Amino acid sequence: MKFSIYRYNPDVDKKPYMQDYEVELQEGDQMLLDALIRIKQQDDTLSLRKSCREGVCGSDAMNINGKNGLACVTKLQDIEQPVVLRPMPGLPVIRDLVVDMTQFFEHYNSVKPYLVNDDPLPETERLQSPEDRAKLDGLYECIMCGACTTACPSFWWNPDKFVGPSGLMAAYRFIVDSRDQAEEERLENLEDPYRLYRCHNIMNCVDVCPKKLNPNAAIAKIKDLKIERAKESKAKKTYSIKAL
Amino acid sequence: MLIELLTKKYPGMRLWLAQRLSAVFMASYLLLLALILVFQQPANYQAWMAFMSPWWWRVLTLMFFISLLMHAWLGVRDVFKDYVFNLTLRAVLQVVVDVLLIAYLCWVTIILWSL
Repeated sequence: MKFSIYRYNPDVDKKPYMQDYEVELQEGDQMLLDALIRIKQQDDTLSLRKSCREGVCGSDAMNINGKNGLACVTKLQDIEQPVVLRPMPGLPVIRDLVVDMTQFFEHYNSVKPYLVNDDPLPETERLQSPEDRAKLDGLYECIMCGACTTACPSFWWNPDKFVGPSGLMAAYRFIVDSRDQAEEERLENLEDPYRLYRCHNIMNCVDVCPKKLNPNAAIAKIKDLKIERAKESKAKKTYSIKAL
Repeated sequence: MLIELLTKKYPGMRLWLAQRLSAVFMASYLLLLALILVFQQPANYQAWMAFMSPWWWRVLTLMFFISLLMHAWLGVRDVFKDYVFNLTLRAVLQVVVDVLLIAYLCWVTIILWSL
């Protein structure tokens, strides 16, 4: 099977280049990651991240024939040859297929991806109704591989300001959580013209998500909620003025 | 109520909502126009004049064009912000677009009120 892989070692190479590889697949080689491991046996200077090899850890996200995806869940029989592999776009390359995801995780941290609840801890866990729990479906499954965010032009143009689909979906996951008490602050945290509103719904994120999630829908729901809450706060204000 | 949200308190939502609201207004105007044209087709110059001249229709038409220009301004502004990285060039382009849009607005107003 033929491959063309992006190579760049900043210590040695002046410029990145594409290197061709040809590997004999063996029985049991089904996923792209299997082939990459064979290539690494041929040439151990090739760098890539991998860990769980079953689409759970999100380490081996890369650009496969122009589309972001996870090597470990991409079937070899489904991809055209020569398979062109590049690192995820929009992030600095550390080496070969390994990118620096610091920016990505900074955005994730900026949405406070944890429950904020000032009530005293109950004796057991904080309970949720099955309906409230169902609201988290399609959100909590995100493995943060970065495929969506690095496929998003809004992130390419404003990587330091736009939170990106993955971070915004994480934000929504905590906004709708019935156990969280910081909805208002969370919505306010996304108010400047860049953090949320750079999303123009081109849906690259939905197209590439290896877990088949829909960050775009989550972003739209945040926008709706923001309008609702803003209307409510307006209504409250008029009410309190009348009460005076 | 929605218009009230277009204030400085919501810098991000304001722009996003302005684009949505202008789109809704344009869609409603065009639908209304299409409906009217289904039921009466002005066949000649006099009929078109009669159709276009009521003051409320001129105001609605002007509002349509204001929405259109505002929508275009917001859209082009986003494109410049995303793709033109040289700040001087971006400012020049933005001024050109602004002048053009304002000129269009004056032109439309002159046309509508010279009927």
